[in-house]
Amino acid sequence: MTADAAVKTVDTTRRAVPFDTANIPGPKMAKPMMPQVAGKMIAKAKRPLLIVGSEVHDKDVLERVITLGKTGIQIAAVGNAYKSLGDKGLDVHYINMHALSYYICDPEWQGLDGKGGYDLVTFLGITYYYASQAISALKHFSKTKVLSIDKYYHPNADMSFGNLKKDIFIAALDEIIAELQKE
Amino acid sequence: MTIKKGKFVIEGLENVQINIGKVIEEGVDGQIEGPTPKPEITSLRNWDYRILDRYNPVYTPTSDICDYCTYGKCDLTGNKEGACGIDLEGHTARQALMTSIMGAACHSAHGRHLLHYLIKRYGEDHPINVGPSNLKAPLTETIMGIQPETIGDFLPVLAYVEEQLTQLTAAANTGQEGSARDFESKALHAGMLDLLGMEVADIIQISCMGMPKAEEDTAMAEIGMGILDPTKPVVVCVGHNIAAPAYILDYMDENALFDKIEIAGLCCTAHDMTRYNKTAKIIGSMSKELKYIRSGIPDVLVTDEQCVRADILREASELHIPVIATNEKITYGLPDRSGDNVDDIVNDLASGKEKGVLMLDLEKVGELVPKLAMKVSPIRKAKGITALPDEGEFAKLVAKCTKCQQCTFDCPQGLPIADAMEAAANGDLSQLEVLHDKCVGCGRCDYSCPVKIPVLNVIEKGAQRVIREEKGKVRIGRGQIGDPEIREEGRNLVLGTTPGVIAIVGCGNYPDGTKDVHDVVEEMLKRSYIIISSGCAAMDIGMYKDDEGKTLYEKYPGRFIKGNLLNTGSCVSNAHIAATTIKVASIFAGRKTKGNWEEIADYVMNRIGAVGLAWGAYSQKAFAIATGCNRLGIPVVAGPHGTKYRRAFIGKPYKKDDWNVLDARDGSTVNVEPAPEHLMITAETFDEMMPLLAKLCIRPSDNSLGRAIKLTHYIELSEKYMNKMPDDWHVYVRSEADLPVAKREHLLKTLETEHGWKIDWDRKKIIAGPMRKVDVSFQPTNVPRLCKEVSK
Repeated sequence: MTADAAVKTVDTTRRAVPFDTANIPGPKMAKPMMPQVAGKMIAKAKRPLLIVGSEVHDKDVLERVITLGKTGIQIAAVGNAYKSLGDKGLDVHYINMHALSYYICDPEWQGLDGKGGYDLVTFLGITYYYASQAISALKHFSKTKVLSIDKYYHPNADMSFGNLKKDIFIAALDEIIAELQKE
Repeated sequence: MTIKKGKFVIEGLENVQINIGKVIEEGVDGQIEGPTPKPEITSLRNWDYRILDRYNPVYTPTSDICDYCTYGKCDLTGNKEGACGIDLEGHTARQALMTSIMGAACHSAHGRHLLHYLIKRYGEDHPINVGPSNLKAPLTETIMGIQPETIGDFLPVLAYVEEQLTQLTAAANTGQEGSARDFESKALHAGMLDLLGMEVADIIQISCMGMPKAEEDTAMAEIGMGILDPTKPVVVCVGHNIAAPAYILDYMDENALFDKIEIAGLCCTAHDMTRYNKTAKIIGSMSKELKYIRSGIPDVLVTDEQCVRADILREASELHIPVIATNEKITYGLPDRSGDNVDDIVNDLASGKEKGVLMLDLEKVGELVPKLAMKVSPIRKAKGITALPDEGEFAKLVAKCTKCQQCTFDCPQGLPIADAMEAAANGDLSQLEVLHDKCVGCGRCDYSCPVKIPVLNVIEKGAQRVIREEKGKVRIGRGQIGDPEIREEGRNLVLGTTPGVIAIVGCGNYPDGTKDVHDVVEEMLKRSYIIISSGCAAMDIGMYKDDEGKTLYEKYPGRFIKGNLLNTGSCVSNAHIAATTIKVASIFAGRKTKGNWEEIADYVMNRIGAVGLAWGAYSQKAFAIATGCNRLGIPVVAGPHGTKYRRAFIGKPYKKDDWNVLDARDGSTVNVEPAPEHLMITAETFDEMMPLLAKLCIRPSDNSLGRAIKLTHYIELSEKYMNKMPDDWHVYVRSEADLPVAKREHLLKTLETEHGWKIDWDRKKIIAGPMRKVDVSFQPTNVPRLCKEVSK
């Protein structure tokens, strides 16, 4: 959970097949990604956004999202995620994800805080098929890089974890946190 | 002299005969009042562009390739162009068009089938009777510019729909339309045609078949998987078209068979069966089809059209349930026995010689089905045929699960089936009971299991306790909203003092079970919204009871006034929900209707706080209905599965110029609040959907009292379900009078401290801050020609 704690390296590139068996979009599918890579990409982004949805309420996941938020990354709380994130002192904003996926594609949109668009968006804790469709809009109609650090393999993202069991998923989030806390 | 339809000879003139086919009467009632009677594909294009400029099409493709023609497959990833030149945006818009066309064709073909049948039975001159209304066919008048009086008057209406749908379908061929924007205009056209086709279908069946005519207090029908007595012969009709089930009900009535045979419907046929004969019962939505067949309870299955599973014949034949297909759209490869003797057919089906038959002679269906049920039932019941495992088999099956999760990967809901299997193996059935409600009954899990567990059957076996208790009540479909009700309520709606009309429509592909649809209705009824429902959603509302054993239909009356719950009827009754907004524009505001779509839609969009909720929409038909409502200015919210329709219409509140409207009094431009903010959007969860519904009921024309009421609900629902004040509530405040009374002082303080507004605290008035002031005479419009004097 912290930079000082010993963080186990886990392989998040296994089972990199669409979580919904038939969700095979086309020739370009996400590259499987290790947690350290995700952490470094988020850390190096000029204007990253973490998009968190209705599967954030699980205690273990919520704890990690709060810690991620405390590293300074702005959070878009989609679905009902705000219920668990709103009072944690984070830079968190509610927005409808269907609308968000469109606004990110609009170069004129100034972001959730009016300070400009995003160069990297990261998806976490969202109903699988719903996130998959939103990421599809970004894949085809935006220039923004898309990562998925959810427990599902998201083929429409640029880079994604594979389908993960919960212990691996949580360990992977811890690795990302450690990476961000290094920066 | 009165001119009539018919053939006439003229005395003294040999070999002369005058044929008069259609008499079009002149006069006020027959006059076209607007510029677009029978609009062609491009007649309403300017209106569509106005919609699309504000509510941009948002594409979420499910596939990155196009394989429409032999040039392909083409990779369109990243919005590349394919071999024909179409890009992914255009291709996805084309899919939106095709989806709308399919939906519109379904409803219109349903209407055509009924019209043939009803004209044959009752004659073209059978009068339209929909209840206490002068505006009998609002959509027909607004689109066609005619006021139909007889069912025969609908012949040219359907001919128009069919011709337009053919033109639209042609535009989707490779090498035709290439512009996404114009594909969307065409999709909106198809959606409008869908509303028209539905109106025809429902008005003619209401007029001819004795269905309720704008009645607010119809009887209650029983609903649920637990309502039928399985010891009796059981007939189950599946689909949407009442024509064949009506003959069965008539035969049972004439032969006093209602005490001897149970008859019920699955999906919208069930609604119309209860509207035709209130003795009939409702099992539930399409998501119950496979579950109920697998129970083995039905002795005969009768199919007609729409929302009928493609595997019904195979599933039924495995359980020795004969299938009678009664509509040419679904024939299953069955032998056409329409010309054969009924008793011969009964013998062939009862003996198992045939698995089913195609029977297009509906009178014979009426006799065949009850006779067959009486003969087959004792045989089936003696054998105890069911697909569900017995207790011993059940225990073995749940213990066999390897927890590989493949069923979850194949489940459209991603349900945690393995966990429930493990709990069941330890004697805890509660998780399987939860899955039964959340499961949409598709059966994909059966195919995925590597150790051949019949997963759906196991879920259903494990949930028997809750299935036996599934017994609810639905108020039988009433049809239209009558003119007197509109006169009473129209003013409240336009001024906003009734917070809104929420149409709960669509299918059973809910993201988190059927209870959500009940819960949203209960919450909004307590808040005095008018709830109008139809189709499968109307069924699911009635599936739950309070502590006193009452369903929402039993607790809330069915008049079109605030805090009431209405069921219009089946899928085609959706037309009446859309048409209600036309009635408000016509009856309350005096807007001309005939051939005047653009003006009516403009009025609806700017003034009537109506929103549709299709929380479990799955079909092309649902998409077409939503698209038709969008062209009429009604926003629609869908559940998260709705993103798989691949197109939404989403507004950008941050682009101020998108929210300019004209004041019809002088043509001046007024920048207004984003209302309604979106025309077609989804929400991920119930919590998110609740305040969104309230927000989408806000309209530029609200008076201060109305706006304060709407803001009260928007803020309260956001606080209750999202634990927060909405970020944008202040955008909808034009003066202190718009603020919810109970929180006025606190909100004024917030406006001052967080948004920099200037407040005169002595008078508790807003001095500066709002984007515009309240103007009770403001006449918002998006159509320049409707302004008295167009400003330069």
